Amino acid sequence: MDRTLPPGLSASQLDAALKEFGRAIGDEWVLATDLDRDTYLDHFAVDEAAHAPSAAVAPLTAEQVQQVLRIANQHKVPLWPISRGKNFGYGGAAPLLKGSVVLDLSRMRKIEFDAENGVALVEPGVGFYDLYDYIQQNKLPYWTSVPGNSWGSVLGNALDRGVGYTTYGEHTARLCGLEVVLPSGELMRTGMGAMSDSPTWNLYRYGFGPSWDQMFVQSNLGVVTKAGVWLMPAPESMIGLDLELDNAEDLGWAVDVVAAMRRDGLLQQSPSIGSWLRGAAVLTSRKEWYDKPGALPDEVIAAIRKRFNIGWWSISLRLYGYEPVNEAAAKIIQAQFAKQTKKPMTVTRWKQGEPLNPSPGQAAFAGVPITFPLANAAWHGGRGGHLGYSPVLPANGQAALEQFHRTYDRYREFGMDYHGSFAMGERCIVNVNQVLFNKDDADMMARVGQFFRALVADATEKRYGEYRTHIDYMDLVAGSYDFNDHALRRANETIKDALDPNGILAPGKSGIWPERYRSLRK
Amino acid sequence: MAAPQSAQVLDGRDLYQHRCGMCHQGIGMAVSLLSRRPGDTSNGLLEQRKDLAVEFVTTVTRTGIGNMPRIPRGEVSDPEMKAIATYLAKGGQ
Repeated sequence: MDRTLPPGLSASQLDAALKEFGRAIGDEWVLATDLDRDTYLDHFAVDEAAHAPSAAVAPLTAEQVQQVLRIANQHKVPLWPISRGKNFGYGGAAPLLKGSVVLDLSRMRKIEFDAENGVALVEPGVGFYDLYDYIQQNKLPYWTSVPGNSWGSVLGNALDRGVGYTTYGEHTARLCGLEVVLPSGELMRTGMGAMSDSPTWNLYRYGFGPSWDQMFVQSNLGVVTKAGVWLMPAPESMIGLDLELDNAEDLGWAVDVVAAMRRDGLLQQSPSIGSWLRGAAVLTSRKEWYDKPGALPDEVIAAIRKRFNIGWWSISLRLYGYEPVNEAAAKIIQAQFAKQTKKPMTVTRWKQGEPLNPSPGQAAFAGVPITFPLANAAWHGGRGGHLGYSPVLPANGQAALEQFHRTYDRYREFGMDYHGSFAMGERCIVNVNQVLFNKDDADMMARVGQFFRALVADATEKRYGEYRTHIDYMDLVAGSYDFNDHALRRANETIKDALDPNGILAPGKSGIWPERYRSLRK
Repeated sequence: MAAPQSAQVLDGRDLYQHRCGMCHQGIGMAVSLLSRRPGDTSNGLLEQRKDLAVEFVTTVTRTGIGNMPRIPRGEVSDPEMKAIATYLAKGGQ
């Protein structure tokens, strides 16, 4: 098999660079065997080889990251930074540009904690479990907010606009102050951190003048080596309000009811209205239910709902904070739902002093890290995987229903099992759909790409853009952001070329291509 | 949280908990999937298995198996992997 190389570089040119990386960070942390390369492939990829790296390097400190970037500039080696590489469904550890060298930051695991202000200053290798353990061991009165796959990096998840389940669930909004190595190798701090030794680096977001934290989110303009992350003070009380919605059409009014309480602030957390497959795909395999290809028929959907005693949609609201405030809010929320359905909400209560031993399904609401939802990749049997299709919609019931029907019809047209949810933001809905597949089913895999493109085309026609996507589709999604003939992309690439003239950092990430590789845009 | 160094004596149990426990302990993804396998007698817990050899653990961890993705050396170094595999091969002793 031919060795994978960066575009335009010979094996000896790459080897010369790898040798220098080794001098800077230690030869043992230049990972360039065939096996090493394979370990950074995307486990969920439709085509793993399309994103094969040429090697990986794993520095331990920001100084070493600086050296790696300087060497990469000298040798024109493209790098693909990963925090912990667990961004499954979006590319995992694999680089967009085949032949890139993975810059693996998972050895950087330092945590500094400001207990007075509830701010963790974390390095990229710090996972949600690490931060949770640190808080438990030090008996700190704070809760983490965790995503459905908490194996990954706290910083990396926030930099990809990942979400959790508590009032701090919009992770990128809780970032405050970054330390960044620019493509040149220069170290920079954002916000108040631009003043050396500032005590407010991680307390005030903006600093003076332009504020750049979001410039390094979903971008390829720097390598973030530290981030301030705000944490939720441990609440006095948590109240759960759960409801099963019997009909697919109930989505419309449910969205409108929740949208109003997100807008006026009654509900501070972002609940997700999810379909019947969400739990079933985690807890069971498809063959227990149905042994034929094509989308699951209605009678099977009914059987799944019956076994798990769930609705067509399930919705879980959570209140955090002082007990009397939560009780008052819960009363108003129940009254709002009662205007639409006779079905009562299931109420659960927890308060400080009681043991917090949440069941698996409840763990993430209490900020306890979880990985079990990843089991849904095994839904079909065989080597599983999934893709996320996540357009952003207005927070409007009619818009949500129309989008649901469009998407549901596409799933059936392509013979795939519908797995959708509507996450309610303050002014919008992020409509996260998972495409679960079986890599050992050639017929199914041949449909995945066409299916995904059809979904994106449907959203684009309605002028809905995706909030996040897999490395296979970054050009496709970036291309849909087309105002004034892609003026934003031109601006992004002007900045890219200015900061990264050699185009070494994550070429193609989020559809942003440096001049050197721009012809590779798909 | 001291990062284990190759020069130090590596504690397989501690490493297993911190590098593998998120999926292979408690309510982790792997516990759920392995416990569903026909004939499972270990409740999906690798520490209760008596049939795990060092070479097997090392190989499937680096090459991936089923739902488990490959684990790079950047995340778990060779000496760390050896300590973890040895711990599991001894039935979690």
